[in-house]
Amino acid sequence: MAEQKTVTFVIERQDGPDQKPYTQEFDVPYNPALNVVAALMEIQKNPVTRDGKRVAPVVWECNCLEKVCGACMMVINGKAQQACCALVAQLKQPVHLAPARTFPVIRDLLIDRTVMFESLKRIHGWINVDGSWKVHEAPRQNPYTAQTAYEISHCMTCGCCLEACPNVGPQSDFIGPAPVVQAYLFNINPMGKYDEPTRLNALMEKGGITSCGNSQNCVQACPKNIKLTTYLAQLNRDVNMQALKNIFNN
Amino acid sequence: MYNVTFYLRRLHSLCGLVCLGGFLLEHILTNARVLISPASFNAAVDLLASIPPQIMIPLEIGLVATPFLFHAIYGAYIGWQAKNNPQNYSYINNIQFWLQRMTAWYLLVFLAWHVFVLRILVKGGGTHISFQLLQSYFQNPVYWVLYLLGMWAAIFHFCNGITTFAMTWGIAKGPRIQKVINAGSMALCALLCLISLAFMAIYLV
Amino acid sequence: MAKATAKNRIAVVGGGISGLMATLKICEAGGEVDLFSYCPPKRSHSLCAQGGMNACMDTKGEGDTTYIHFDDTVYGGDFLADQVAVKGMCEAAPGIVEMFDRMGVPFTRTAEGVLDLRNFGGQKKKRTVFAGSTTGQQLLYALDEQVRKWETKGQVHTYIFWEFIKIIKNKQGVCRGMVAQNMNSMEIKAFREDAVILATGGPGQIFGLCTASTICNGSAVGAVYAQGAHIGNPEFIQIHPTAIPGTDKNRLMSEACRGEGGRIWVYKNGQPWYFLEEKYPDYGNLVPRDIASREIFDVCVNQGLGVDGENKVYLDLSHIPADYLERKLGGILEMYSEFMGQDPRKVPMTIYPSVHYSMGGIWVDREHNTNIPGLMASGECDYQYHGANRLGANSLLSAAYSGTIVGPVAMKWATRCNKLREMEGWLARKSKGESLMAAQEKAIAQPSDSDLRLYEESLKEARSIHMVMQPKIESDGTEKPPVIDQNNLYALRMEMGDELTDEELEAARQECVNEFENILQMNGEENAHELHQELGRLMNKYVTIERVNKDLDFCFGEVKKILARWNNIGVTDRGHWANQEAMFVRQLRNMILYALVITKAARMRDESRGAHFKREFPNRDDEHFMKITVADYDPKTEEPVITYEDFDHSLIKPRARTYGSK
Repeated sequence: MAEQKTVTFVIERQDGPDQKPYTQEFDVPYNPALNVVAALMEIQKNPVTRDGKRVAPVVWECNCLEKVCGACMMVINGKAQQACCALVAQLKQPVHLAPARTFPVIRDLLIDRTVMFESLKRIHGWINVDGSWKVHEAPRQNPYTAQTAYEISHCMTCGCCLEACPNVGPQSDFIGPAPVVQAYLFNINPMGKYDEPTRLNALMEKGGITSCGNSQNCVQACPKNIKLTTYLAQLNRDVNMQALKNIFNN
Repeated sequence: MYNVTFYLRRLHSLCGLVCLGGFLLEHILTNARVLISPASFNAAVDLLASIPPQIMIPLEIGLVATPFLFHAIYGAYIGWQAKNNPQNYSYINNIQFWLQRMTAWYLLVFLAWHVFVLRILVKGGGTHISFQLLQSYFQNPVYWVLYLLGMWAAIFHFCNGITTFAMTWGIAKGPRIQKVINAGSMALCALLCLISLAFMAIYLV
Repeated sequence: MAKATAKNRIAVVGGGISGLMATLKICEAGGEVDLFSYCPPKRSHSLCAQGGMNACMDTKGEGDTTYIHFDDTVYGGDFLADQVAVKGMCEAAPGIVEMFDRMGVPFTRTAEGVLDLRNFGGQKKKRTVFAGSTTGQQLLYALDEQVRKWETKGQVHTYIFWEFIKIIKNKQGVCRGMVAQNMNSMEIKAFREDAVILATGGPGQIFGLCTASTICNGSAVGAVYAQGAHIGNPEFIQIHPTAIPGTDKNRLMSEACRGEGGRIWVYKNGQPWYFLEEKYPDYGNLVPRDIASREIFDVCVNQGLGVDGENKVYLDLSHIPADYLERKLGGILEMYSEFMGQDPRKVPMTIYPSVHYSMGGIWVDREHNTNIPGLMASGECDYQYHGANRLGANSLLSAAYSGTIVGPVAMKWATRCNKLREMEGWLARKSKGESLMAAQEKAIAQPSDSDLRLYEESLKEARSIHMVMQPKIESDGTEKPPVIDQNNLYALRMEMGDELTDEELEAARQECVNEFENILQMNGEENAHELHQELGRLMNKYVTIERVNKDLDFCFGEVKKILARWNNIGVTDRGHWANQEAMFVRQLRNMILYALVITKAARMRDESRGAHFKREFPNRDDEHFMKITVADYDPKTEEPVITYEDFDHSLIKPRARTYGSK
């Protein structure tokens, strides 16, 4: 293949939450290690479109650039993913960038994911420790269970699974795979287990786990390879048991 | 508070698989008798028709019509909340998810027509259902095609429903078992589709 | 009538491990926190800590003690850390680990279910607890979850996507509030606070390309420095020898690669040259970090032998069997191929040293108070604990530990603020009540019809105040008068000064608004991001691995030029909605100021100690430089004034740092 000089980016922009989206095209110098965030940074340094118009630099969110913070999730060539590890060399060109419209768009590629953090409150996503003071030795834990917890605890609340899930979006009240599966993380902790019924009951509410439609996009989209569908199934099992308990134990 | 949504969703899943699934299987089995001989089919229809209406009507209303209406209306509400995206995420499961909704919309229209014409107008009007009647009905190729599609849509919707049922009820947890169940139900789907194609083909001959 | 006994209100700026830890401690003590962060706490840079956290758990039968941990840390820091502070941290470490364990951090465990320990650089014993290769992420999440719990209880008010602009001092110079800006609506607001804790992380972005997140720009530190906060030991910047250079950032490549047999080389005269192995036959590629960094620097910069003429060298694993690599380094190598699109099992990786951590930061005392009363600092943005060089896996510890210290300290301070407010409020009402009573008596004695209505009103008011003055046990909204000890009152007045008036708050806000509006109008030729890149290149070239006085002088002049050129920036985005460009312009100025501090401090320290190396002065000079660098801002010249300060190194006698001879 001939040496490539530039890459074209087609970016879906939007000036504000209630503004109409429009697209602009930018050319960015190519290098083999170029990723989407690096390209956006180049645009920042010289915000001129392909047809030579000087425009406001593209707005987006990024922090760590190592695929752990979850900030730079956007829709790249139709698929939700982290922009920092989306290598341009592996993408179809021109590269299309769009905000994840499952969430409210603030500006350009910047989106408002507050709802995900609110969902974590809803599912009681914490271990109810008495305080940060010294209490007693922490309980021992099954190392295999801890491994499962470690896997789920990689979830960086990026929102890829929500964007990919056909059942999440402005049209639905589903809280999405990520927050649901977080409930399981706390349920398998030796102390978090105490609050398992609270969490399961929260999952039974409207917009909870019942809104899962088994499209299984989440497990494909997850940049951290969390086995979301497996834990969703497990939680389905747990929630059903809890429902029976609710009916027959009260 | 009482998690109404949760119980409705579970009921939706349950009556879809058990009541409607059962009724679908009954339909296929009865219709498949055509493959043995038209007479055999007629005998099966006659047997069903011999059940006195005092028993049959409540059964039809209780085990078929009510679950069907619930499944259809609540299902429409659920389907309405999906933004289908198989064009961007063309994974098998997502295509199945999309087909599940597409077949549902088709079935909604098709079954309304099918029930209205055959069950209410024809059978309700006192006409006896028989191979001969259906054969003349299917002289219209459009009807034949629409019926075949309806059959296939129902079969897919039911078989894919088995997969999601296993998931929704937490029966199949790991990816392997989920795959096995999905493969099994899709194999069943193919088989039933073939059978239905076969007995529908008889009407063309 | 407004209730006088408001809760203590403390601002925590920064949602990383340190900020969240402080928040937690304040909530537990009953205070309320305004948590400012310009990203959701779950996206803070604490995430990027991979290796683990040091704590003497001694579960490997090695007889580890907190004292050895203390000694390792002080020795690693080349004897420039406050030893009392370090000792406190090492002793608290096991308790902190246990706390994290209870909070549900999925630490890696042994087969019998207790915390596993791993080896780390510069330590004599296995002392590092870890959660796979994402320890920072897991610790951060655990704290984030706990803070979320407090948020649901209403004690934490989060201001996410709000950027700290500056603190507000009262007439007496005490920090009593701060100004912040909403990063979406661009709204600028002043907040009245009893104390402000800065936990804003490191300044990596000053060096342009570094291993830090894009948010680690040190802007908040630069801002308070320009307001009079001192900076301690700014010249100590840790350089990690092996990072993957990128155009957006340098990503860390773990030392484990070399540990598993990775070889570092470049082409010389067309042949592979294993320069580390040649120069250090005993240690080969496993020389200590600072030496490795210096050698790679030498080969690339001084000898110009970097790969493809660029500043990078090969880190080669391709001679090692693939299955062995998979077993030992799988995750890391995957990361490399993900970001570089090349398989390190087949082709050598290209790496180069990169800025990694700042040991220096805002000067604080052992309780994390800065020199400005009411302003505290904790985490990487302070200068405590690491001296001249940080040991691996001590950063998570210092972040969490400083949070546990600063939270209660801020709470104590805020309680005293509140006490003063209570007494002042009471005294004000009391004196008003008394003067009203006196006026009434006068009015009764000499009734005048013009004053009649006034009298009626004052009578009503006086009664209500009188009600308050009469303490009731079963009070219904009325307050109990505080015990007023004149000495205490005087002391508190001296300490806290006046409450901020509404006018002062508004003035501070208006100042920031004007500043921001001015930025929006900037119409020059420079692009802020280009300017940042230039700053980074300068700093990376002159103020990192090897420092030369002549170059530092040059660099200082250049950075001053950049500071001047800052005024000539042109802004393309003049809008008032999510204007990242304008915010960056503001941050950039603070970064330039901080860059001057780092450069000047490096210039002044004529010795080599820890991460600070000068070939002209290759040895440690305890006689002249066993001192903490303190930088103070001079508003006239916009340059730092450097002084030196003694510190406590009484516990361990300084000895030569000779990692070289095992």
